[in-house]
Formats: sequence, structure tokens, C-alpha cells
Amino acid sequence: MAKYIIKRVIMAILTILVVACVTFVLMRSVPGSPWNSEKAMTEQQIATLNERYGYDKPLPIQLLTYLKNALQGDLGVSLKMQKDRPVTEIITTMFPLSAKIGVVALVWAVLVGVPLGCLAAYNRGKWVDSLLRVVCTLGISMPGFVIANFLLIGLTGQDSLFGLKAIFDASQGAKAYFMPCVALGLYPMCYVARLTRSSMLDSINQEYIKTARAKGLKTGKIIFKHALRNALIPVITYLGPLVAFTLCGGFVVESVFSIPGLGRYFVQSISNRDYPIIMGTTIFLASFVVVMNLVVDILYRVVDPRIDLTKGGV
Amino acid sequence: MAEKKRKKMIGSLQPNVDTMLEWNDLTAEDFAPATQGEKESFIPQRASISYWRDAWRRLRRNKVAMVALGVLVLLVLFAFVGPLIVPYGYEQFNQGAENLYPWHYSLEDQARLDEATGATGGTMEERVAAAIEQARAEAEAEGKKFTRADEAMIRAQVRSSGGTGAGAGSQEALAQAKRELGIHYQPFGYSIAELQRIEAGEKVFPHVFGTDNNGRDILARTMYATRVSMIIGVAAAAIVLVIGSLYGSVSGYCGGRVDAIMQRIVDVIYSLPEVLVILLLSAVIGPHITAFITDHPGALADFLRTVGPNLAAMFVCFAILYWVGMSRIIRGQVLTIKQQEYVTAARALGASGARIIRRHLLPNCIGQIVVTACLQIPSAIFLESFMSYLGVGVTQPLASLGSMCRDALAGLQTYPYRLIIPAVIICIMILSFNLFGDGLRDALDPRLKK
Repeated sequence: MAKYIIKRVIMAILTILVVACVTFVLMRSVPGSPWNSEKAMTEQQIATLNERYGYDKPLPIQLLTYLKNALQGDLGVSLKMQKDRPVTEIITTMFPLSAKIGVVALVWAVLVGVPLGCLAAYNRGKWVDSLLRVVCTLGISMPGFVIANFLLIGLTGQDSLFGLKAIFDASQGAKAYFMPCVALGLYPMCYVARLTRSSMLDSINQEYIKTARAKGLKTGKIIFKHALRNALIPVITYLGPLVAFTLCGGFVVESVFSIPGLGRYFVQSISNRDYPIIMGTTIFLASFVVVMNLVVDILYRVVDPRIDLTKGGV
Repeated sequence: MAEKKRKKMIGSLQPNVDTMLEWNDLTAEDFAPATQGEKESFIPQRASISYWRDAWRRLRRNKVAMVALGVLVLLVLFAFVGPLIVPYGYEQFNQGAENLYPWHYSLEDQARLDEATGATGGTMEERVAAAIEQARAEAEAEGKKFTRADEAMIRAQVRSSGGTGAGAGSQEALAQAKRELGIHYQPFGYSIAELQRIEAGEKVFPHVFGTDNNGRDILARTMYATRVSMIIGVAAAAIVLVIGSLYGSVSGYCGGRVDAIMQRIVDVIYSLPEVLVILLLSAVIGPHITAFITDHPGALADFLRTVGPNLAAMFVCFAILYWVGMSRIIRGQVLTIKQQEYVTAARALGASGARIIRRHLLPNCIGQIVVTACLQIPSAIFLESFMSYLGVGVTQPLASLGSMCRDALAGLQTYPYRLIIPAVIICIMILSFNLFGDGLRDALDPRLKK
């Protein structure tokens, strides 16, 4: 177990390192300097700016400096959008809101998706199953922005239902989070439901379920205590990619509902070509996803003792 | 001999020695050439069914997949044949036909409505002047400055609305008047001028889905956008197919250290969130491609200019990132296939690795390859629409379904159909590809059935 964990941690660190190096090199390879803005600058000014931000040194040294700073939590400063404000500070002020919406969306997706999957599996071939299958296939075929915009059109017309607002307003409390979380969680919910259904079907047909039934256990107990436990393993493996999906889906949902979160800011920084912010956010989010994947993978081995730990990753 | 036959227990695995002994009792006749009749009896009565025909037979029985296939065929017709029928181009500005709804009132109804709502009588110029006056008065009452830009905006609004009156207040009045007069919508959008031309006996093609604020026909745009989205989906799947199956088969066939290193690379790529990397790459590759277009004129630059730097960046991303899933599946398949005797036989005959992969390994995982590639199409379309929606996808004047949704955001409350139409088409397209892919999987590889 320890060997496996060490191996995975090394892989994760390597991945993050690769991301950091690649983003850095990409950032430097963009044609034109970061100072190409509306105002024309003299050679002197550019040289001063280059010296100030350390852009005059050779590239490998810049890379090492950047990595060293990044390790100490310094990802550089914004060049355009919020001039000279540290990227780390921008991330720490904006990420909590994105994380909040993401977590709520994830939680409801799993809490609703798993029972729905069980329901479909238990009623296999009946109308409940067919209905759920149609709904879930439709759910995974709708891009997030379509769901978000349909919610917007449907729920926030002239006679807005329940006082839902098209533009995110944190002072509204839970009401403000309703639509973003629904829009973000629908796809994962449908995916989780489909996944649960298929793995439930596998485990329902196992011998030990027959044994449990023969012992006279109640259906509810059989489903939730015996079948579901084993059926949940694929769902747990999916949680890692799910976190990545929710993060990226957050970009769209935050744009649609004008939520001042990190995702929307990231997209804005791309159209503004504020490279330090793009790179800093990419490294941060990628590291986040990599770490979440790591945690989920280790958790997965802990949950299912049948999996051979000595064989390792693949 | 019959009585000498040894007794054999029922179900015994002991071979029947007597019949085996008889094998040696061959006469000269046994070596005579077979007659024509005997030869013919060896030819199977039923034509042998090929892999593909068998799969097709199974697929045809799957109703859902067949309906999905039908919808896909319709969408292909819509995207590739439709623009030949609709006389409007996707970037053609139809002057005087801006902001049309996908419905219209007949000329008489329009006249009655104008009369009922009252204020908007007279010629176009008078209406414009009245609207500007009203807006200026409102602005002054609120203590705001009324700029020339505002004036131009109102002028454009009044003109484009074809005289039906702009603003929320007149919308309500319009709705009320409509109810009182019992006027109903007529399907398809026509501008007033076009209605007059029809009156004069001319034939005018309707704006079936209305027009946008530049007077571009939404039906034509949707058709081109569907075409763009489909091409992207199929092209992405092709890229993934080539790179993924090559990488996967080489990794699986070589095994050992080569496999280990190749799989670590896959692991690194696999754990990255693709969307994030694509956003990053499009931000960085975009300027490079723009620079390339200006520096190197030629066919490639022309092509890149048409698709736009963002889209080219997206293809680069597919080539860099998206093949990992495919390569893993192919590798797993190759690992089992390469143990089979025919591969050993090929190797013993001196076939090179490349030949074994090409002639023996890949053809035997063709089912998996086709299914994975087919399921890659909807995810590529999904991703493309996502990127275009965020504004880092296709560039103007080219339209994709995602960018049409993005363009529709400006007037979402007034013209929701501009978003709903492309959005619904995306959903139908992805849904049909998903359902068809699932059906294909069941048909090509029943073992994979979930």
C-alpha cells in the first residue's frame, strides 16, 4: 500500500511539474511581448519593464525562478486585468465561490444520481427504467450552457418564478445558488445514475444477493447494504474525472449567471490575454484536479480490498 | 465384428478404439477423385455472413439506434443539402429584414395592429423620429445624457422591428391589440418589404427561423453551423482514431519498458483536465497561427484563415490530448490479441512488427476502434460548442452552433428562439450520436454490452 501511494504521489508531482513547465514555455513562446497594448512604448520603457519583471534573463533561469516562486505560492502578478495584483491573491479570493458551487453540484449529483440508478436497476425493463434511461441519456447530451440558458429562459422571464434572478446575487443566499448548481450538476447526475444502474445490474445478479434473499432479508436492506456497496466502486472511480468536469463546467455556468468566480475570470483572462493569470490559474486548477484524482484513486483501493495493490497504477 | 465390439459406458470419455482401427482399412476407391456431386455437397448452402453484415443485422434490430441513425441522416441532409435550397448565405446581410421573428402577420393584420396600437402610424421616418423624441424625453426626465449613439441605436431598433414598435410598453399594447382583434401569427418570418413584394406577385423565400440583428437568415446560419459542428466532430474522431490506435497498438505490441514509458506519458495526459488545457492552448497557439497566416501566404494559410486560429488550436488539442482514451482501449485489446497463435505464426514467418500491427492486430480490434471513434464524435461536438460558447471556438463570420448560442445572448429575453434553435439542434445531434454509438457498440461487440 505504502509503495503504491508513494508511486502515485511521485506521478502526481511529476504531472504538476510537467504542467508548470509546459505552461511556462507556452507563455514565453507567444509572439509579441506582454507589453503590446494600446499605448506604444519606447525601447527604454520596455527594457525597464522587462528588467522589473525579470524577463531580461535567459529562459531556463526564468523557468527555475518561476518554479521556485510557484512552490512558495507566488505565481506572478497580473499584467493587464488587475495590474500588479498577485495571481495567488486573485485565485484565493475567487476560488471559494467556484468551489462552493462545484461542491453543492457534486453532492446533489451523487445524492440523486445513485438512488435513481438503483431505482432503474431494481425496476429493470419496466417503465421506470425506460423513463430514467431516456431522461439520463438526454441529460448527458445537453451541454452545460444549454441547460443553464434554458433554465434562465424558463425561470427568469418577466414574471420570475420564486424571485430567481438571471444575474447571480450572493445576498439572495441559497436562492442565488439554485440555478447554477442545478445546471452544473445535471450532467454528472445523469452520468452517475447510468453508471450506478449498470454496476447495480452486475451486482444484483451475484450469488451473494441470492443468498441474502434466501435468508429472507428485506429488499431495502439487500439493495442498500449488500448490492449498493459493491456497485458504488465504479462510481467512486468516476469521482476524480467528475471533479475535473465540474471545475471546467463551472466556466460556462459562471459565465451564464455572471458569477464572480474563478472560472469566469479564467475565461476573461484568456480573451484579455493576461498570460500570468492564464498560467497561474491553469497550474492551480490542474494541480487541484491531479490531487483530487490521486485522493480518489487511493480511496478506491482502500474501499475495495479485492484490488491488488502490488500491481500498481494501470 | 459386431459382437466383438467393446462395451462402452454412457458418458465415458474413453475413445472408441474400434472405429479408430477401421481408419486404417482403406481401399483403393477411397483415393479416387471426388465426383462433381460430392464436391458440391461441401459448398455451404447458406452464404457465409461477414463480420460487418452480421453487425449490421444486429444493429438493424436495435430500434433506438436505427431511429438515431435516421435523425443523423436528416441532420446531414439539413447541413449539407439544406444550404443549396435556402437562397440566403450564412453571412449575407438582408437589409430591411433585421430582427425578424420566426413568424409574421399578414399585411392587413399588420395595418390593423398599427391602427390599434395607435402611436406607430405614418411612414418609417416619422416613426423613427417619434421614437427618438420619446427616448430623449425619457432620458432627460431621468437626468441622463442622450448621446448620438443612443439615437442611432433607437433608429436601428425601430427600423429593424419593421414598424411593429419597440420597447416593452408597446409589446404589451401589441399583445393586447392582438387578442382583441383576434389576430394570429402566420408561420415563418417576412419583413414588411418582403410581404409587399409577395403582394406584387414576386416569390420570396421565407425566413423560416427569422433573422438576427444583422438581418442574417437564422435557418441558413443554423445549416452552416450544423455543418461546421459535424465536420469538427468527424475530423476530431479521425484524428483520435489514427493517433490513438497507432499509439495504443505500438505500446501494447512492444510491451516491456517501451510500454511502461508510453503508459506513463498517457497517465500524465490522462490526469489533466482537457478543457483547461484546450483553453490554455487556444490562448497560446492562437497568436502563433495568426502570425503564421500573415507571414506565410499559401493554401495552408488560406485554410487556417477560414477555420480561424481558435479552431486550428482546437484541432491541435485533439491531436495532443484526446487520443489517450482510445489508445488505452486499443492497448488493452492488443495485449490479449498478441498472445494468439496466428500472431506467433506471423512472427515465426518473419513478419515485421509494423506488418503484424497493420495486418493482424489492428484488423482484429476494428470493432472497438469503430465504436470508440463513433462515441468520440459527440464528445468532440460537445467540446467544440462549449469552446465556441465561451468565445474561444470558431471565429466570425464562420458560425458553429455554440457560437450562435453565444451570439443569441445579447437579446435573450426578447429573442429566445435564437438560442433555442441552435441549442436544440446541438442536443439532438449529440443525443443521436450517443444513441447510435451505443447501438453500434452492442452490435459490434456484444461482450461490451452494459
